[in-house]
Amino acid sequence: MKRPKAIILRGTATNCDIETFNSFRYVGAEPELVHINQLLAGEKEVLDYDIMAFPGGFSYGDDISAGKIYAVKMARLAGDFGKFIKGRRPVIGICNGFQILVKTGFLPANRADAQVSTLYTNDCGHFIAKWAKLKVNRRSPCIFTKGLPGEIELPIAHGEGKFIVEDKEELAAITGGELHALTYADNPNGSMLDIAGICSPSGTCFGLMPHPERNFFSWQNPGRPEADRGAEAAGFQFFKNAVDYVR
Amino acid sequence: MNDTLEKFNSLKSGQLEALDRAAGWSLNAAELAEVQRQFRRIGRRPTRGELETIAQTWSEHCKHKTFSGPVAYRAGRRVKKYKNLFKETIVKATKTLNRSWCLSVFKDNAGIVEFGKGGKWGLAFKAETHNHPCAVEPYGGAETGVGGVIRDILGVGLGAKPVLNTDTFCFGRLDRKYRLPKNALGPERIMRGVVEGVRDYGNRIGIPTAAGGIYFDDGYLLNPLVYVGCAGLIPADKIEKKVVPGDLIVSIGGRTGRDGIHGATFSSTNIDEETTSSAVQIGHAVNEKKTLDVLMRARDLGLYNAVTDCGAGGFSSAIGELGSETGAHVRLEKALLKDTRIEPWEIWVSESQERMILSVPKGKLKKLAAILDAENCEYCVLGEFPGDGRLLVTHGDEKVVDLPMAFLHGGVPNFEKPAVKRVVKVSARPPAPPEDPGKALEALLAHPNVCSRHSVITQYDHEVQGGTVGKPLQGRYGDGPGDAAVIWPQAATLDLRDYAGFAVGHGFAPAVGRIDPYQMALHSIDEAVRNLLCAGADVSRVAILDNFCAASPRDPRVMGDLVQAAEGCLAAALAYGAPFISGKDSFYNQSKDADGKEYPIPLSLLISATAPVEDVRRALTINFKEAGNPVYVAGVARRGMGGSVYNELSDTANNAVARLDMKAAVKLYAAVAGAMRAGCVAAAHDVSQGGLAVTLAEMAFSGGLGAELDLVPAAREKGLTVTELLFGEGPARLVLEIAKDRETEFLKYVSGLPVAEIGYVKEEPELSVSYGGGQLFSACIGRLKACWKKELI
Repeated sequence: MKRPKAIILRGTATNCDIETFNSFRYVGAEPELVHINQLLAGEKEVLDYDIMAFPGGFSYGDDISAGKIYAVKMARLAGDFGKFIKGRRPVIGICNGFQILVKTGFLPANRADAQVSTLYTNDCGHFIAKWAKLKVNRRSPCIFTKGLPGEIELPIAHGEGKFIVEDKEELAAITGGELHALTYADNPNGSMLDIAGICSPSGTCFGLMPHPERNFFSWQNPGRPEADRGAEAAGFQFFKNAVDYVR
Repeated sequence: MNDTLEKFNSLKSGQLEALDRAAGWSLNAAELAEVQRQFRRIGRRPTRGELETIAQTWSEHCKHKTFSGPVAYRAGRRVKKYKNLFKETIVKATKTLNRSWCLSVFKDNAGIVEFGKGGKWGLAFKAETHNHPCAVEPYGGAETGVGGVIRDILGVGLGAKPVLNTDTFCFGRLDRKYRLPKNALGPERIMRGVVEGVRDYGNRIGIPTAAGGIYFDDGYLLNPLVYVGCAGLIPADKIEKKVVPGDLIVSIGGRTGRDGIHGATFSSTNIDEETTSSAVQIGHAVNEKKTLDVLMRARDLGLYNAVTDCGAGGFSSAIGELGSETGAHVRLEKALLKDTRIEPWEIWVSESQERMILSVPKGKLKKLAAILDAENCEYCVLGEFPGDGRLLVTHGDEKVVDLPMAFLHGGVPNFEKPAVKRVVKVSARPPAPPEDPGKALEALLAHPNVCSRHSVITQYDHEVQGGTVGKPLQGRYGDGPGDAAVIWPQAATLDLRDYAGFAVGHGFAPAVGRIDPYQMALHSIDEAVRNLLCAGADVSRVAILDNFCAASPRDPRVMGDLVQAAEGCLAAALAYGAPFISGKDSFYNQSKDADGKEYPIPLSLLISATAPVEDVRRALTINFKEAGNPVYVAGVARRGMGGSVYNELSDTANNAVARLDMKAAVKLYAAVAGAMRAGCVAAAHDVSQGGLAVTLAEMAFSGGLGAELDLVPAAREKGLTVTELLFGEGPARLVLEIAKDRETEFLKYVSGLPVAEIGYVKEEPELSVSYGGGQLFSACIGRLKACWKKELI
């Protein structure tokens, strides 16, 4: 069977690149770690890949605000990224990756590709790492959450995860289109409408604060449910869905 | 100062000491005299740069003169002499055990043991302290402590990939009753700064901070302890490094500035009112992450022959170490600087962070430079390793250092330190029972040394790299206290079908050490091993680190405590078959308060232990799993409340320390490990601070299940009271939940051993504990959890 080529985008202090790489490889993709500098130098081209992932981390130290510098670096290649996304190739941004997609304006999708929302400092004022219960919006067009049960668990680990959209129309576009694919059962950061992840109207571009690669197998769960030992867990499905979609 | 330096060779001893104080070298009279003697022999005066180099290289921080020096230990009329205390205790244990899976011990920046199957990987492990910096600048001190120990892992062999950070802190009690000196920071301020420093550095660099502890005691009021550890994976064929004459000296990562001048010498003396925070460096995690990313790529491409980190002493010790056989020619004007107003000798000894020194063959520089550029990581070529054994450091035309390497690395004068055994009055009278054992349990759970650490742990990204399988917060609600971290280093092996992992646990018992330093070492090693066992690790293959922190070694009682603890380390390492693979010590953790009262810390020995977990899918957690499962207590309860939390809450006047029977413990653990491997054990948790009652409560509320228990069958020493059974902290005990259909099989594994069934797990959320039918207490697990779950920060 075809192994879809996945580009795992790195930069300075992208920290979750390797586990994201491992996850894509496990579900049958052919992942490749590519530094943004390689794209900017013209050594690699995003349009040569089938799937794109922005992993978690603290790209460029979260200086200015989380994901901002990475987003600015992407600006020169906005055309290629835009084509990739609008061509409905799967894109996932996890944690810092979600922050990057928001800061570039690719999420929430809008005609101008302008930043219309932000992920702001958590209400508690500092970084938090813990497991969160999440509700899966089964009416969402999101291709990554297909086939998941109504409620799942994933860990969160972020300082800036509070999703805010000022414009009522933009917010209505999200809820109206069922683009809020994942919401928190117990909001940990103050996000509007408990939003943990949103997708593009096509469902192929998806950003989320929780880390699916950290609940890929059941033994990564703090409760380690005895019966499920050895089984793949909720996070696995996110990656598998991307590969299945391309195939 | 320059005038005095001109006349160095003719200075009197008093003048030498005045010069030492003015320059901040922390050399003692004998050392100063030795330096003078050497330069008189050479027939010229030393330069500032040379004296700085010698002060760094010979400092307590770098040379560990106290622990590896001669000691005369007096216990009553008996005197025992050591030529080298460290070699005759810690190193002796490792040499005697001579384990084939120890790949590198005591010689590199960290110890390395075999990891996984097939001999492909090594696991590097190291712990350090950053106490003095954290006392004066907690945030910066903690950040650079974390950064420093990570660089030890990056600089071991040809570089290991860090996969776990550990941290253990000691602070003064937050509810202290003492007046602080005017320049000392309060423990709240220190704790906040330290936690935030560890958080901001560890999170940004993407290494999970997933093991450690926090300990409160007023002994640490003026001298907090901050132990930082790091573990990493290294390919087995990348453990050896060797500088080849002709190689270039390349510094990568951070720039050099005036921060952190004299860190090594500052750590080698007591903190007083004149101590400033300019000796503390400024951390920058993102620079270190770039350095890490470059190193891993360059290592796998074989672009350098050797690497080490710039730690204490900066370039002077890193280049000095790498070039100890070949010599080195360094041109300081090539260094990238943060600050142009810096003296050449300052560039040479600055401890600015995030710098690594590589020994690079000339032909490979271009390839290395390409990787550095691609990762936006700065570098400079500082010179080369010539092969003539001479250390020549220049800045333009100025000679900063010109000495034979042998001068630096030999010749440190060392003199015998007196040590004496303290006399401690011990009372073994039976403790009176508490009025209400249930209330006593609630108070213990809320005690700062027992209560939940979630408010600190959740600020650390303890799951980055996706491999924290044994979590610091675990159980049904993800908030129970784990015994040991279990790490599945998928981010290093890149193989999701390889289930090999390792566990890291700790042992720490300074309260026991106040009474009996020898037993403290035994208890600490036992506790660390037991923590690993409870996570399902292979305890026949434990490797340990020793980190001693002590007050001034000029006090013979401090030295006496150290000797006893070191002897305890030797005995326990041999008994448990657990070699020391690395270690570090920190002295002079002692300060005066406003009234001139001395505050020495209690002797504090942190044991960090690691053992393999063959299959991480089978790692164990502490929480009760299923109603109806039988609950067993393993190990013999021994008499003595000495060092217990219970004694702190209501003094029983019994301060006897429970003796550890190491032979019995080793036998018991081997049997329990067998039952665990067979899958009979559903949950395991050690008995430690707060005693058996606290262990049971934690297992119950972490699983959201109650238990019906009667303690009569529990094994115990003759004459042991119920109070000691419930709240005593004697070693070598653990509680096990057994899968109910596997009980018969379990009993075969432990037959003939002190393992007794005390009841069963039940659905009703209530912990009922009785003794021979008489109920001791029955408590709602929600209530117990509420007592325990305090916000520390």
